[in-house]
Amino acid sequence: MVAQPNVRLNLANTAENVVVVRAVLAGVAESVGVDTEDLGDIRTAVSEACNNVVQHAYEGQRGPLDVTIALSQETIEVAVRDRGIGIGEHAEEDPSLGRGTGIGLHVIRTLARDARFDEPPGGGTRVRLTFAARGTRPAGEGVAGGPELDLTEMPNYAAAVSIAPVGLAKAIVPRLAVALAARAHFSTDRLSDVQLLSDAVADHAVKAVCDRHVSFGILAQPRDLELRIAPLALGQADGLVRASQLDGLGRVIEKLVDRHHILAAEAHETLALSVLDPRSR
Amino acid sequence: MASGTTVERASKQPGDTHGANESLGELFVRWQQRGDSSARDALVQRFLPLARSLARRYDRSSEPFEDLLQVASLGLLKAIDRFDPVRGHSFPSFAVPTILGEMRRYFRDCGWSVHVPRGDQERALRVRNAQETLANERGHAPTVNQLAEYLELDAEQVLDALQAIQAYESLSLDAPRPGSEDEGVTYGDSIGGEDERFELVELDATVVAALEHIPARERAMLHMRFVQDMTQTEIAARVGLSQMQISRLLRRSLDQLRALTRDSPDAG
Repeated sequence: MVAQPNVRLNLANTAENVVVVRAVLAGVAESVGVDTEDLGDIRTAVSEACNNVVQHAYEGQRGPLDVTIALSQETIEVAVRDRGIGIGEHAEEDPSLGRGTGIGLHVIRTLARDARFDEPPGGGTRVRLTFAARGTRPAGEGVAGGPELDLTEMPNYAAAVSIAPVGLAKAIVPRLAVALAARAHFSTDRLSDVQLLSDAVADHAVKAVCDRHVSFGILAQPRDLELRIAPLALGQADGLVRASQLDGLGRVIEKLVDRHHILAAEAHETLALSVLDPRSR
Repeated sequence: MASGTTVERASKQPGDTHGANESLGELFVRWQQRGDSSARDALVQRFLPLARSLARRYDRSSEPFEDLLQVASLGLLKAIDRFDPVRGHSFPSFAVPTILGEMRRYFRDCGWSVHVPRGDQERALRVRNAQETLANERGHAPTVNQLAEYLELDAEQVLDALQAIQAYESLSLDAPRPGSEDEGVTYGDSIGGEDERFELVELDATVVAALEHIPARERAMLHMRFVQDMTQTEIAARVGLSQMQISRLLRRSLDQLRALTRDSPDAG
């Protein structure tokens, strides 16, 4: 069964980003009621697959690490994909012949109910892991395409994620943004503000997006994090900021960010929110 | 990143190299057929790195590594007893599922669920206390990396602890405050003593229905953060709580406020 993924996460293949993948998995698991023991097994196996991409996919060079998550009743499917050297014809029988997964492969085969390796169209290698996960609820209809925000050409790009249904963003974006802000040397003080901002944005995005999915892009550099949200209906980027108005407190989003701007395309808008932490050092 | 996710290359795993297979086979014969315990000791020595590596991978960060290693070693002994070299599989391909199976069984069935939250909670308390200590020393909130370095944890463990702090309602109220001479003084006590001061914070005249559903203490914090534009650390110093407490209370209050605003008839 090939379900449309509910989450599509695009990262670079750095060791630090494996932590980001794990944070996203935890957020997803929490929101659909996965048993914590099962989550531990899932995180262990997925980490092995990601570490393999970090260490072997690009022969020491940088390249994309793409992770998708599909949720159905009592089942989670996680696919980890690279765009690097293929695994060759031995893929199904023993991918470790193609490149060294070593005992990582044994770990994956032990913890996942099913593990399949293939070379999808477009090149690279994909491992598709299926986990039986007690308590898991289907999240709803998945994502058809990739993230609207193709950040791969931006120098400071940290992560792009596409999520459907939009309501699932509340479980994912705060964890993702906090993990990246921590890496960008944010103080715990401002880290919390990033979390509050992500909460607000994910919550208000439900009404502001013009599609069945929502995409977030995060650019991170030291003490500076930018969160982008798309695709928003025309006029809704500003609407999303206004919607964060709480009586007596003002527009929460405006108070939490240092600056924001709107990128308009023909059919939709992107909202870009920047949080700085100049005091941190 | 977590040390538990580090991958060793296959070539470093004992038993994977073809040259060693023959003598390995002899060791298994000596132990399994003749009960020669020196052969078993030799096998344990060779494969202990495998057990160690699996203990590090096993994603239960709050369990002491020594405990994980002990259970992994037990699994290794079982694998050494049961491995059938004649079948032609490599020992690691047999041992990894056996060891992981032992670890899963142990931590699922033997009180793992009782034990772990306490480990998480202890770490969360250490992170919270370290945050206050460093913030006081340096005059500004520390970064996650600084906390990790100070506590000799990795950054992911600190992030998990921050997440745990938000999950544990009781954490803040029942634990002794760092630096308090009298261990009987808890956050709960100090909150009680602060109530009057909260009432003194003047709120805008425009405060409306939704905010009135929020306790006075949280209302005051929201006002300080969003109207007076104070940082969370400044608010923490003002009201005598930790910044992480402020973080948790602000988050919860904002969630409540959004829900209340959404549900009100003139929302939108």
